[in-house]
Amino acid sequence: MRNTTRTPLSDRGVRMHATARPRALRRLTEGLAPYALALPALALMALFVYGVGIGVLQGFGIAPFLDRFDFTLEYFREAFTRSDFTSSLCFSLFVSLMSSLIALGGGILLSAALVKAKSGSFTQLLGLQIPIMSMHALVALGFIFLLSGSGLLARVLYVVGIVGSPNDLPSIVGAPSGWGIILVYAWKEIPYVAFCTITIMSHVSDSLGEAAATCGAAPVRSFFSVTLPLSLTASLKAFLVVFAFSFGAYEIPFLLGPTAPKALPILAYLEFQDPDILNRFYAMAINGIVTLVCALAALVYFLVLKHERKEGGR
Amino acid sequence: MSARKNSGARWARVLVVLQIACVALPLSIIAVWAFTDSWPWPNLLPESFSLRGMQTIVRGGDATGLGCLLLSVEISVVCAVLTTAVAILAARAICFHRWVGRTAFEYLTMLPFLIPTTVFAMGVQVAFIRLHLAYTAFGVVLAHAIVALPYAVAIMTETTCGAGQAREQAARTLGASGLRAFWHVSLPTITPGILSSLCMSFIISFSQYFLTLLIGGGKVRTFALILFPYLSGGDRTIAGAYALVFLATTLLVFVAFRVILRKTGGSTEETALYGEA
Repeated sequence: MRNTTRTPLSDRGVRMHATARPRALRRLTEGLAPYALALPALALMALFVYGVGIGVLQGFGIAPFLDRFDFTLEYFREAFTRSDFTSSLCFSLFVSLMSSLIALGGGILLSAALVKAKSGSFTQLLGLQIPIMSMHALVALGFIFLLSGSGLLARVLYVVGIVGSPNDLPSIVGAPSGWGIILVYAWKEIPYVAFCTITIMSHVSDSLGEAAATCGAAPVRSFFSVTLPLSLTASLKAFLVVFAFSFGAYEIPFLLGPTAPKALPILAYLEFQDPDILNRFYAMAINGIVTLVCALAALVYFLVLKHERKEGGR
Repeated sequence: MSARKNSGARWARVLVVLQIACVALPLSIIAVWAFTDSWPWPNLLPESFSLRGMQTIVRGGDATGLGCLLLSVEISVVCAVLTTAVAILAARAICFHRWVGRTAFEYLTMLPFLIPTTVFAMGVQVAFIRLHLAYTAFGVVLAHAIVALPYAVAIMTETTCGAGQAREQAARTLGASGLRAFWHVSLPTITPGILSSLCMSFIISFSQYFLTLLIGGGKVRTFALILFPYLSGGDRTIAGAYALVFLATTLLVFVAFRVILRKTGGSTEETALYGEA
């Protein structure tokens, strides 16, 4: 699909327009054209890489705007010796791994169910696109209304007689297990994973699934041996995006997370805001560790992408 | 065999209905709280309703109200147009040309998918202050465009590669200039992609909180920025009202783009909204 380069036609000078221009000049402009087209996007991405890079460098003690150029690992050492950092790292890893695993499993299940139920575009609008476009923080608010001590669930349980007072339920805000955060991510990202896999799953179900069924494969078996392997790369990519996102996001752990341990982005921002400018180096060391984890996810993502393209013959 | 197949489809339908109910529940209760006056424990339904929350937003004006909503829409519209324009060009470079660095460029445009916005925002703040972009609406637009670009490029690449270049080259062979051939031949075929890219970029920009906080420094008061403190505050009616107006705006924009898409003859199935994690 992607091999549409220039046709030999234009090279032979059939194009009436271009024949007037010298051949060498035309070659040059055609050679430079892709770079010119890519330039605006390159500029934006250069700013992105610069922002991430200059931040991570500060974690190593290098901050040109403060006239500091000495490389040091002191801030990383400080991070790993502080107990609040290590517990934050574990908390962040736990919450984003749980969220992305639930999103992966739930998303594949939902995608399969939507295909099996032959859902139309309106069902997919309600089930997939509305959660995808809702802002995370608002979902958190909705769940606070539902599940907090005096929320709707507690009221229902009170009427049934299970709960006596608003304080009897485990609180969604500030739970050290982070279940509130995981719940919000599951609500948002199960549809996201389903969205990423549903196209390939419905194609497989239309073509190969029929073949498998004709050959006598039971539906469950054909799902596990045909549909699932073929949608693996799509779901793996979605899983990595969800993991990296939930690992580095600020809003949901800020609204629903416990005071201790704090998620890494919260911890980093607290240090970043500190009036003592030296704390900024420490904040950036934390960001460096967040970046490292997400860069590993990105690396796996690119490997999956490369493998997928090779398989797809592009 | 067929009985088993039917029961499978029935379970699938039950699951889909359950999931939609789970989606609807937190969103509906936001809508109820937005108009609730008092809802004492342990009542299952609100005792009385009022427009206090909505009035708070209307009276908030430029500082905390409709002015912020308007500014947010403006910022997100500019961001959507900018991002989509950049993505159209980038997609042509990816689909129609073979060049050194093409794959690296493609991977580069995906990076903001995977490297957190928080890290970028804290790192780039100093640079934005130095360039006098911090605390300005344009700076915020630029920062939002960076975060929205991966989605826009993914959408435009898929559409552009799918459309191919054959017809545009035919037009050029017949003597049309490059720009004219693009405008009259290629543009109509990639319109569905452009529409979903605009829609997606708008929604991403509209929902940014942390990035806007750091780059706007609290001076560029977008709706997401002023809404956020209410979410952890005590007044549920006001929080609900802000959240409802926010959700309604996103939904309105999304539906508007779908209507335009259908009017221009595109299939909403193929060019569905791209996912945002």
